[in-house]
Amino acid sequence: MTNYEQPTRRGFLDWIIALGTAITAAAMAIPGLMYLWPAAKGGANKAVEVKGAAAMSPGQSVTLQVAGKPVIVVRKREGYSAFSASCTHLGCLVKWDVAAKDFKCPCHAGVFDANGQVVSGPPPKPLPPYAIKEVGSKVYVSAMA
Amino acid sequence: MELPKPIRRFLESRYNLEPAEHFIDKQVHKRLPPHTGWLHVFGSLSLLLFISQTITGILLLMYYRPTPEAAHKSIQYITADVHFGWLYRQIHAWGASMMILFVLLHMMRTYFMGAYKKPRELTWVTGVFIFVITIVFGFTGYLLPWNQIAFWATTVGTDSADKVPFIGHWLQYLLRGGNAVTGETLSRFFVVHVIILPWVLTGLIAIHLFLMRASNLATLERVGEERKLPEEHGVPFFPVHVAKEGVVAVLMLAVLVTLAVLAPWEIGGPANPLNTPEHIKPEWYFLPSYQLLKYFEGPYGAILGIMACSLPFAILLFWPFMDRGKERNPRKRPIAVTVGVIGVVGAVFLGYLGHISETEQTFFGKRYEIDLKGWPHLIKDDAEGEGNAHAPPEGADIKPDK
Repeated sequence: MTNYEQPTRRGFLDWIIALGTAITAAAMAIPGLMYLWPAAKGGANKAVEVKGAAAMSPGQSVTLQVAGKPVIVVRKREGYSAFSASCTHLGCLVKWDVAAKDFKCPCHAGVFDANGQVVSGPPPKPLPPYAIKEVGSKVYVSAMA
Repeated sequence: MELPKPIRRFLESRYNLEPAEHFIDKQVHKRLPPHTGWLHVFGSLSLLLFISQTITGILLLMYYRPTPEAAHKSIQYITADVHFGWLYRQIHAWGASMMILFVLLHMMRTYFMGAYKKPRELTWVTGVFIFVITIVFGFTGYLLPWNQIAFWATTVGTDSADKVPFIGHWLQYLLRGGNAVTGETLSRFFVVHVIILPWVLTGLIAIHLFLMRASNLATLERVGEERKLPEEHGVPFFPVHVAKEGVVAVLMLAVLVTLAVLAPWEIGGPANPLNTPEHIKPEWYFLPSYQLLKYFEGPYGAILGIMACSLPFAILLFWPFMDRGKERNPRKRPIAVTVGVIGVVGAVFLGYLGHISETEQTFFGKRYEIDLKGWPHLIKDDAEGEGNAHAPPEGADIKPDK
């Protein structure tokens, strides 16, 4: 038969004080941790105009920011294509290689084809596409719905 | 060393100085093991560099402005206009590299002499934490000039956090203060670099020194079989060992000033979040990890790469509890010494490959293009040369001579 130690009034009070201290410490720590969590949510997902798009010739590219994220827009023979410019490996910005018709990452030599699919190198995923909308002579780019 | 008499009288009439004097006297005149020599100065050199970093860091803080708009300009101002600003900036930049180097050398000395063994396991564990904090110091300080290399090195470094299983994305978001490296990131890195890390490192160094003094330096004798030598057999900490530390401290300051003058760190162009420079490479102490990451490809490549880069640190941390042998003498520890040599040579080799990758190099009179993974490819002009016995470049069209 197990002998249980009889709880004492002092022991019970010690336990209550320890619990109260822990709850108080947690109550103080939680707002502190929340304070560290970034308040900024990035830019709103609005369509961004591609400045000078009409003057771009086929094969030319431009990198701009959409909702705080870098996006690369390429002028095709007909229309435009847009992808996230951040390499899916470690976040360097890809560049459009006009001659090879592919995107190359300058950091670890990742290569993506014109559709953003991985051709070679360490990138684990394709480049996420962005939506293009042409309104008259103006071109807008936004995140996919 | 005695206090000036008036000051001593003043203090004596108010406080009991005896315990403090006894403590200091005991520390200063402590005897160290007979084999204590020049290899035992790396720890105090690391401490000297930490003090130098603190002083030069405080001086740089007088003029540095931690915002994306002002950071780069303030570094230019410190370098070009502030009296001796160039000197303190250079000593701070070179001091960071030197501190990591000497912490590493100190760890290597401790490892190969088996000084991490019982009862000094916790001294080693605090040392590994000091090493990690020193590297984090380097990483956070690197962003502060807000130049192109700093911006993109931080982008790549914080992107690695995204590959941590389950919590990666949150961790990256917390580190960056948002989705991308921005002014929020600069603020966070600044606070961590100038407030949090200095206090954490000060605390760790205090614990490390306390533990080191409590168990004295290790001898090369077997664990638990250390002989108690007469006091006169030991090396007096003061003045013998302190004199050695003084010599290397002066040499270190001379080296820092020489490097500051002859090999100054470039400021580089300001950060441009819309243009990654070609072939950027991290600092020498990140080169082995940088190179190792390249060999892991595919959907799980990044996570496996991060795990491979973290493994050596985990092994270092738990090594005293894994190597339970009683021998300390390196000649009697072939396995531990082999593991250590493989680790050091492997890290140096990977770092060298990282350094020369994506460049052209000449070996034995022939030009080679070194690819991303460090494999050499003979450059075609040379390949057509006479008597070439090397492998052709990938994809070269080789036809037999007629």
